[in-house]
Amino acid sequence: MSIFQITLIVGIVMQSVCLLLTAIRFAIGPTLPDRVTAFDLFVANVIGIIVIFTELTNNEDFIDVAIILSLFGFLGSISFAYYIMRITK
Amino acid sequence: METSIDWELVREIASCVFILSGAGFMLIASIGLLRFPDFYIRMSAITKGSTLGLGLILMGMAIYFNQPGILLKVLVIIAFTYITAPVAAHVIGRTAVQNGIAFWEKTNLKEFREYLTKHRLERQINQDRYTEEAPVTMEKDGGAGDVAGKV
Amino acid sequence: MRLLLIHTILAAFVAYFAFQHPITSGVPYTAISATLLFAAVMGTLWLSTYFYRRTYFRKLPKLLYFILFFIKELLVANLKIAYDIITPRFRIQPTVMAFPLTVKTDLEISLLANLLGLTPGTLSIDVSEDRTTLYVHTLYLKHGNLESLKQHIKNGYERRILELTA
Repeated sequence: MSIFQITLIVGIVMQSVCLLLTAIRFAIGPTLPDRVTAFDLFVANVIGIIVIFTELTNNEDFIDVAIILSLFGFLGSISFAYYIMRITK
Repeated sequence: METSIDWELVREIASCVFILSGAGFMLIASIGLLRFPDFYIRMSAITKGSTLGLGLILMGMAIYFNQPGILLKVLVIIAFTYITAPVAAHVIGRTAVQNGIAFWEKTNLKEFREYLTKHRLERQINQDRYTEEAPVTMEKDGGAGDVAGKV
Repeated sequence: MRLLLIHTILAAFVAYFAFQHPITSGVPYTAISATLLFAAVMGTLWLSTYFYRRTYFRKLPKLLYFILFFIKELLVANLKIAYDIITPRFRIQPTVMAFPLTVKTDLEISLLANLLGLTPGTLSIDVSEDRTTLYVHTLYLKHGNLESLKQHIKNGYERRILELTA
């Protein structure tokens, strides 16, 4: 295992810590928009993990997953915002 | 004359630097998500930090693979995230203002007062539920400590 | 705008098909060589517009300069917020300001709001109904007062957007 791979694994570990911290905010977040923000950050972290994993395994097919996830994360947060707008009015 | 540079190694080092700085930005953004006191501060500080971190990580991957197809896909992902992140932030922030999520108590709201009074008046004309409904929703969502009573 | 799109697609096609031809078999097909060829084709097309489309000839350097300026702003603001997060005390002074707009059309307003939303520390909340005011939530005030921040946005972002879309 070279230093390059160790660095990538350190990157994945940092992203996992990010996921954990975001999950804490998702659990305690006082209001619903807080949780939507945390969800947004979830998606960004997962895309980052996928990208680093692609580089670690040298398999280029995983990038397509990242493209689709970046689109669906946006759709998710937009539809959540619309939902909040509708239920409180 | 042994001066031929090992380009593979150079690419690996550059990619490592990009990925570690991107992951650092994302980690700092997640810490900030826990530390900042109010929804709007978190919103305006955090989502952009994660977007920049994601862009750095993607550029690191493009540098490592060094293939045009991958570079194109990476540019597509960067364009998506950089176009959609401010739109999502704007939509969620506007929804939060219209639902009466409380500001931090040190926030200077001098120039915003007019907008708030106008919209609250309109809402009270339309339907009377606003004043009862908004605090109830917040309590149900976990008993916020920072519901400062008013927007 | 349309010319820029046509040129980009043309340059991408040239950069893709040039490497299929047997002439270039000695050149490695990597991201760097493809990007250099793409930039060369774009530059040639840009120089050719001097003869038939002067406005495009003038605007493309401004667009590149604007992108560089924006990346600089993004990095500086991100580092500022990162410093604020990892040190124990906050130095933020959150303010909601009413920013008087001088841009008028839909495209310019949404461009300005998106750029402000992408820079850390500012979040565009809403546009008033008569489209004269943009409500912006900011974290840091330049030199402690609101007017210099408004001047910074007006001179930094709004003037350049007006130059590009005029």
